[in-house]
Amino acid sequence: MNNNKKSMWSLKLSTAAIVLIPAAIGINYIGKLFASLLRLPLWLDSIGTVLAAMLAGPVIGAAAGIINNIIYGITVSPVSTVYAITSGAIGITVGVMAYKGWIANVKKATIVGLVTGLVAAIVSTPLNMIFWGGQTGNIWGDAFYTFLISNDVPQWLASFGDSIVVDVPDKVVTVLISYFIFKGLPKSLTNIYRQDSEIEEL
Amino acid sequence: MNTMTLYVEKDSPVHRLDPLVKLLYVFASIALTYILPEPLFIAGVLFVTLLLLVIGKVFRNSLPILTLSMFLIFSLVIVQGFFHPDNVTELFSIGPLVFYEEGLYVALVLVLRVLVMIGSFSVLILTTSPDEMVERLIKKGMSPRIGHVILSVLQLIPQMRATTSKITDAQRSRGMETEGSMLTRIKAFFPLMGPVVLNSLNETKERSIALEMRGFGSSTKKTFLNEEKQYPYNKLLAGIIIAIVILGIVWRVMV
Repeated sequence: MNNNKKSMWSLKLSTAAIVLIPAAIGINYIGKLFASLLRLPLWLDSIGTVLAAMLAGPVIGAAAGIINNIIYGITVSPVSTVYAITSGAIGITVGVMAYKGWIANVKKATIVGLVTGLVAAIVSTPLNMIFWGGQTGNIWGDAFYTFLISNDVPQWLASFGDSIVVDVPDKVVTVLISYFIFKGLPKSLTNIYRQDSEIEEL
Repeated sequence: MNTMTLYVEKDSPVHRLDPLVKLLYVFASIALTYILPEPLFIAGVLFVTLLLLVIGKVFRNSLPILTLSMFLIFSLVIVQGFFHPDNVTELFSIGPLVFYEEGLYVALVLVLRVLVMIGSFSVLILTTSPDEMVERLIKKGMSPRIGHVILSVLQLIPQMRATTSKITDAQRSRGMETEGSMLTRIKAFFPLMGPVVLNSLNETKERSIALEMRGFGSSTKKTFLNEEKQYPYNKLLAGIIIAIVILGIVWRVMV
């Protein structure tokens, strides 16, 4: 066992970290379910991805995000497969920022949420342009898109606006919820997933 | 065991195809709608896709998948028809809003494309069991670990869904409000979500120990439980699909 800290990008994943991925996807699903049960105006469908990224770093976060959308595509709605890249980017963003110490307090976590929302919008925009001519199929986002387009804003910028309106609020709330849950978890549980820790394997 | 899948168990020529050929068809049909973005041509691809759904006896099952994307489709027609930047030729008008021909054309291409995407995905997911698909992918070199992740999610979600109603009832009996103002409902989210997260994380701990004991982390070559299925005309069909895509590209470049 070397004394160097393992990089957060290490692809040598422990079994615990791999098993975290299905759990994260399950949490994503249940989050969405509860959000619609309580009639909340957000999706909250990436809590698991964000938590996985906080717990085990960007690689697991990205894997959880990508596989989440693929699974959602083959079980519920094929259209969501397109956004696998976005989900992956969300996992990477949160993973890196968490690793760099950006989930120390609520204020920082809010910034993580803002950055994540922005990244999600940046990644989604080209996808929306390629697949649906710039729209998202979300009622608020598309209303904003229509407003921008009818004011002669270029299509790609309108599409970016469309994504921003939808993604930023959702991701800020998602990251904050995940942050509160993460802080409430016992240390004995959070320690087993970390890729950079120096736990000796038998 | 109860798994979450849209797979419809039937016997049809489409069911008997190699999952990889069906996967190739999904990518090829979507790519074709971009290589030749003519409504007539995309309608042709859509027709073939629908034909496959009918041959696979799953056409009826594909309709619920389509309804999920109805809003997107409506939104495309309305927004592009009224507001597309290239709009010139008026088609009809509702009060001050004018619906244009150019926008309708753009929307037509987009909608047909969405339909092809949903249709070809439906061919794949309605006629292929996830087990078969994952096993096939692993045999082709995908990491068995990823295979495990995908298949275990499909089992895990129904289990978790079953526990959610228990948690909701338990918290309600402790006086949690799930109705009322927005703030009340937001507050209710945490006592619902907390136990789910803790539960599932605890389970991962046990699961990982169980897996380790069965050699999950070992790097030796894994063997398979099921005998390899024989897929007739496998290479031929894959060849035809690839040939059509190449033909499409050539057509696009030449014309």
